[in-house]
Amino acid sequence: MLALSGIGKSFGDVAVLEGIELDVRAGEVHALMGENGAGKSTLIKIVGGIHPPSRGTLRLGGREHTRLDPRSAQAAGVFIVHQEFSTVPDLTVAENLHMGIEPRRAGLLDWAAMRRRTRELAQQLGFTADPDDRVCDLSIAQRQLLEIGKALVHRASLVVFDEPTAALTQESAAQLLVRIAELRAAGVAIVYVSHRMEEVFRIADRISVLKDGRIVATRPTAQLTESDVVRMMVGREVSNIFPAKSARRAGACVLRAEGVHLPPRLEPCSLALHAGEIVGVAGMAGSGRTTLAHCLFGALAPQGGTITVDGAPLPPGRPAASMDRGLCYLTEDRRVAGLFLRHSVQRNATAATLARHAPRGLLQPASERQAARSVIDTLRVRARNEHIRVIDLSGGNQQKVLLGRLLERQPRVLILDEPTRGVDVGAKAEIYRLMDELAQRGTAILMISSELIEVVGMSDRVLVMREGAIVATLAGQAISEHEIMEHAARERGGGGSDAASPRGEALQEVA
Amino acid sequence: MSASTTTSNAAAPGTPGWRDWQSHPERLELVLLAAFVALLVLAAALLQPAFLAPGNLRDVLVQAAPLCLVVLGQTLVIIVRGLDLSMASVCASVAVMATAFNTTSDRMVPVIVCAGLALGAAVGAFNAWLVVRRGISPFLATLAVMIVLQGARFAYTGGAPSGTLPEGMAALSSGVVAGLPVSTWIVLLAAGGCALFLTRSVAGRETLLVGSNPEAARLIGLPVARRIALAYVLSGMLAAAAGLVLVGYVGIVDNWTGKGLELDAIAAAVLGGAALSGGKGSVAGSILGALLLVMVFNIMVMLGLPVEAQMVVQGVVIIAAAATYAVRQSR
Amino acid sequence: MTPVATNPAQPVARAWRPSSRVPWRLSWRDARVVLAVLIVALLAAGAALAERFATAQNLGNVLEQSTTLGIVALGQTIVVLAGGIDLSVGAMMSLAGVLFAGHVQGDAARFWPLLAAVVALGAAMGAVNAALVNRLRISPLIVTLGMASVLQGTALLLMPTPGGSLPEFATTLTYASVLGVPTSALLLVLLFALVGLWLHHTRSGRRVYAVGSDEHAARLSGVDVFRGRSVAFMLCGALAALAGTYLAARTGVGDPRAGTGFELSSIVPVVIGATLLRGGRGGVLGTLLGVWLLSLLSNLLNFLGVSSHVQWIVQGVIVLVAVMLVSTGRVVRRAAP
Repeated sequence: MLALSGIGKSFGDVAVLEGIELDVRAGEVHALMGENGAGKSTLIKIVGGIHPPSRGTLRLGGREHTRLDPRSAQAAGVFIVHQEFSTVPDLTVAENLHMGIEPRRAGLLDWAAMRRRTRELAQQLGFTADPDDRVCDLSIAQRQLLEIGKALVHRASLVVFDEPTAALTQESAAQLLVRIAELRAAGVAIVYVSHRMEEVFRIADRISVLKDGRIVATRPTAQLTESDVVRMMVGREVSNIFPAKSARRAGACVLRAEGVHLPPRLEPCSLALHAGEIVGVAGMAGSGRTTLAHCLFGALAPQGGTITVDGAPLPPGRPAASMDRGLCYLTEDRRVAGLFLRHSVQRNATAATLARHAPRGLLQPASERQAARSVIDTLRVRARNEHIRVIDLSGGNQQKVLLGRLLERQPRVLILDEPTRGVDVGAKAEIYRLMDELAQRGTAILMISSELIEVVGMSDRVLVMREGAIVATLAGQAISEHEIMEHAARERGGGGSDAASPRGEALQEVA
Repeated sequence: MSASTTTSNAAAPGTPGWRDWQSHPERLELVLLAAFVALLVLAAALLQPAFLAPGNLRDVLVQAAPLCLVVLGQTLVIIVRGLDLSMASVCASVAVMATAFNTTSDRMVPVIVCAGLALGAAVGAFNAWLVVRRGISPFLATLAVMIVLQGARFAYTGGAPSGTLPEGMAALSSGVVAGLPVSTWIVLLAAGGCALFLTRSVAGRETLLVGSNPEAARLIGLPVARRIALAYVLSGMLAAAAGLVLVGYVGIVDNWTGKGLELDAIAAAVLGGAALSGGKGSVAGSILGALLLVMVFNIMVMLGLPVEAQMVVQGVVIIAAAATYAVRQSR
Repeated sequence: MTPVATNPAQPVARAWRPSSRVPWRLSWRDARVVLAVLIVALLAAGAALAERFATAQNLGNVLEQSTTLGIVALGQTIVVLAGGIDLSVGAMMSLAGVLFAGHVQGDAARFWPLLAAVVALGAAMGAVNAALVNRLRISPLIVTLGMASVLQGTALLLMPTPGGSLPEFATTLTYASVLGVPTSALLLVLLFALVGLWLHHTRSGRRVYAVGSDEHAARLSGVDVFRGRSVAFMLCGALAALAGTYLAARTGVGDPRAGTGFELSSIVPVVIGATLLRGGRGGVLGTLLGVWLLSLLSNLLNFLGVSSHVQWIVQGVIVLVAVMLVSTGRVVRRAAP
């Protein structure tokens, strides 16, 4: 049904996918697995017509398609159940389900037919909302079920599920798998993208593993074990771009959090950060890492719990207060919440330290310029001069500018959310080096990252999160990609290792 | 998004000069705009040599003063992702209030001026409250305030404004000091103050950053709400200043003083490079934009074209300018 | 304007929000119910306070007078639902009136063909607006602002002072009534009903809501966003032109300044009728009730001797109150409407 041959995709000069060979047959469930950042999203978007491939050919039902867009892809029988919502919030469940293909009677919409079909589907999917409820009033889980419902309504011949069970309960997920089995029986070709091992092994006929933009292997599920897959996903040489951890020594406790929670995304979490250590936070998308970081920094006000810095309580939910106490936060999405895109490197670099450059009330250009140049020099930002607009810099350089801005505050605690996302290898090494230097000088660093290799390479301790809670703390020898994956991907209560494992030198986090 | 070439940081870093076009695209735009305005002045002079006569130039400057003041305020508000539709109404209300003093004593002029500015600030503060604390879209908030002010003003005057003004008020607009009309000095003062605010003050820089990316600004502890409020308050005060200048110019008060200025100001600001999406705008650009509109108007008059044609041209110019900026943005 | 950390699992419940149920399920909290109640209350109060208020003749007048605003507000509603705004409607009205009266010149035979032609022109202008927004990605505010200038200037160029003429039957038509109900009011209701039907019961109508609610999600779902926007602007332009011709028929001449002020005053009933300026939520019934409420209120206040100036204050306050009750307090998604 679907055949990708030699597919590659580059954004600018960064190659995200390379040499992809993939085929999906009618009546099979083909799972696609890989770490965050391996290229799964991009591949899906190419299949759905949202991005054109830079190289290679795409065949649907035997016919080659050269210029696909979402509408023609749908017309060709492709349906993607996205991670981001394709449902329109102000319209009803019934309307969203049938968007674009509403049944009509004499030119007017056939509401009765829409409602009927919606109720049928609702029953099938275990969906509790009413056909006339507005989508904006649904919970995330319900909205996700709705996305899946759209696939069923469209009667597509190829359906791609992108992390469909991320927000579902056990029963709903089980129901979904039953539906997918039914689809398969009806001859639909299915691509199932998920990190949940149990589900994949339950439903998939074949598994393809994607790593660093390439397909590592495609095998029938029967021929694989879970550890095989994990190994294929993460196994690689640990390059020496990571500074030695031995030079760092953890000192006194700088930040302590107790019972910080913000339901439903964050269960009560407790942790302690010490000067001079780098603590990594790992977990799958949706596990609550960013919410935790936001609550600690004050970008969000937690519903409860306490945070103390040097023993004194930190007023929650106030970024200015947090920064005055020496906390700094690097956002995971620099374009949306970090950079002042139209402004220069200089302005971005000095944005958090303006008062320092205006000793007598007026900003001194010379002082700002000096600070900007110092940032450029120290972090080795590749920019012709400090007046270049940050929007024209590469991702790695943008990230460096943001880091430079925070470092100007000489923070005691640095919370980094995906510090090397979209950053090239060279800049990554420089950022790691910088982090190590800072830690050696006594800064406490909390690093959220989806890149296991980075978490393993940089962290003195690792907190693994899953479904809003810290489920494991790893230290020393116990820090390995495999170990982290196990904790991050296994379902809670599904057996297997959990935080109480005595393996290696894993420690329980003491509140 | 191209990766910039590696620079040897040890070598002398490039100085940001007027020739450094690539790092200062806005400067290029400003220079082009200034050149265009100069071209229009030249065209006017060719059409009518008398245009360049000092007396006539003074008249043009006096005519342009209110729009220049209003465009400054509108620019500040646009920078924080807003719009101020109440400005013309503030103009007229301040003008009406000025005549309400009903005095001919020149000693009252400072009092009138202060009262006017205070009214402008108060309206601005109210606008800010609606936008920041109540989350109302700036368009609707300022629209509603405009209507309310209009009603209050007409109710007070009964539709027929009366009252006298001190002669000193006329001096505010057309009096001449050191060769330039007083109103031009006022514009220069206001423009200088705003330019200083935006380029050299911490609050001004914070305002630009807040407009550019409010969430990023919040996350580094910048006072987002206060900066937005300040923009609206300043805008109100500038509208008040325009009203004071206008009332002196016309001599009598009209309930519709300044009608249409707020929309012209939006157009002028966009011509000058301000982005409705926030975070971008300059005093020089906005003033040049205002001057451009004024020059287009004057040339139309000189060509014997009806004022109406100027409206058409103005509309085309606005759309063309916005399209040009939009296309540049996406590249 | 700081973003509120919303808890996605729990819908925000506030009093007087536009109902989450679809149009045919009214709840007592629905804005339209409130408006209807207010209208009834006004009628009752008016009947008690002013002698001639509640007479059929007076109410008929009110209905007739509100027709022009109603037609324009209807068009504005469609554009706002699609997430945009049209500030050129006033100028379009003026131009339409000028062209209409100027070309008919009292000749009855030309009346209907010219009416059609002018309305078609309005649609064409709307298409231009949409094209500029779609292709050049300029904000609708700026596009329609510029277009307003162009159209107004053109109207003034064509007819600097009121002129042209329309056959007598045109004026008679606008003031006619059937069984005591003004025909113009019937026309208005018919228009609203047709548009309402289209918006709620056809694919292209729902597309308008989809585009206004979440353009990106709509595109992902395969909706032709560009086409949806074009249709919305074209209808608005056509309706503005229709309103302009109606106004001209009413007065018998074309006035190049007839439409001045309507661009902003057409938004007021839309907002009062609980249609959100950000798009995707609301409907035409609210606008119609808003138009009638405003007209009735104005009429009653006139009877009570309240000056039109105070009425402006009242109108402004109503807008603020309505918006405050309806606004969600979240960050406005777009920089400008």
